[in-house]
Amino acid sequence: MLNLIPGIESTSSALNAERIRMDVVSQNISNAQVTKGPDGQPYQRQQVVFQTVLDSQLQGGATVQIPTISTDHRPPILVYRPGHPDADPRGMVAMPNINIHEEMVDLIASSRSFEANLAVVKSARSLAMQTLSIGKR
Amino acid sequence: MPGGTGAAKRFGGLSMVEGLFSGTNYLAAKRLLDATALRQEAIAGNLANVETPGYRRMDVSPSFEAELRQAIGSGDVSAMKTAQPKLAVDATARSSRQDGNTVILESELLKLNQNSVEHAMETQMITGNLMRMRLAITGRG
Repeated sequence: MLNLIPGIESTSSALNAERIRMDVVSQNISNAQVTKGPDGQPYQRQQVVFQTVLDSQLQGGATVQIPTISTDHRPPILVYRPGHPDADPRGMVAMPNINIHEEMVDLIASSRSFEANLAVVKSARSLAMQTLSIGKR
Repeated sequence: MPGGTGAAKRFGGLSMVEGLFSGTNYLAAKRLLDATALRQEAIAGNLANVETPGYRRMDVSPSFEAELRQAIGSGDVSAMKTAQPKLAVDATARSSRQDGNTVILESELLKLNQNSVEHAMETQMITGNLMRMRLAITGRG
C-alpha cells in the first residue's frame, strides 16, 4: 500500500493501545468498591502490558501492542465493616486491591502519551502536505 | 546545474533528461528527504513505545549520513543515488529509567519538530531547483 503519511501505523497502534489502557483504568476505578464479583471474590486490579512489534525488515518504525491484560495479584485490602453482607466472622471485608491515586497517575500518564502521539499525527500530516506541494509555488 | 566539460563528462553515460536531474544539490536534497521521512517513522515508533518496558529508541542509522557526506564531498553521483537511509537501534541512547526504556518524551518531541523543519527546508530546496529548471526551459517562472 502507498504509505503517504510516514509513521502513521506506529501512531495508530499507540493511540489504540492507550485507549485500551484508559478503558482498563476506568474499569479499575469503577470496580474499586466491588466486594463480590462473578467468582464470589473481590474485584482484582487489571493492568495492561505493552509490547513492541518490530517490522521484520526493519523498514518502518516500531508499533506497539497489548498482548494481554494481566491481573494484579496483590492481596485485597481488609477493612473493618461488621454490618457488611460480605464481612467475615471477625467483621473484616476484603476490598479490591485498588489504590485510587495509582489509577489517577496511570490515567494522566496515559492521556499525556495519547497527546504526544496526536502531536506526531499532526506533524506527519504536515510532512505529507509539504511533500505533495513539491514543484508548486 | 553544474556546466562545462566536467559535467558533460560526469553525465556522459546518462540521457539528457536524466542529466537534468543529476545535480549534486538536487540529489542530496532528495536523499535527505528520504531520510527525514524515515526519521519521522522512527520518532513515531519511539513515541508509540514510550512506555514499553525494555524498548530501545530507533533512529536513521548514522552510516547513511557518513555515506552521503562522502558522496557529496567527492561529487560521486552514482554513490549518492545508492545511499539508502536505514533504521537502526540508537546505540548511544542510555536509559535513565527502571524499565530499561531509552525513549525520553521531551527529546523525541524536540526531534519531531526539528525533523519537520528539516523536511520543509528540503522540499523547498527541491521546489526551487525544479522552478529554476522550469525557468530555464520556458523562459518564465
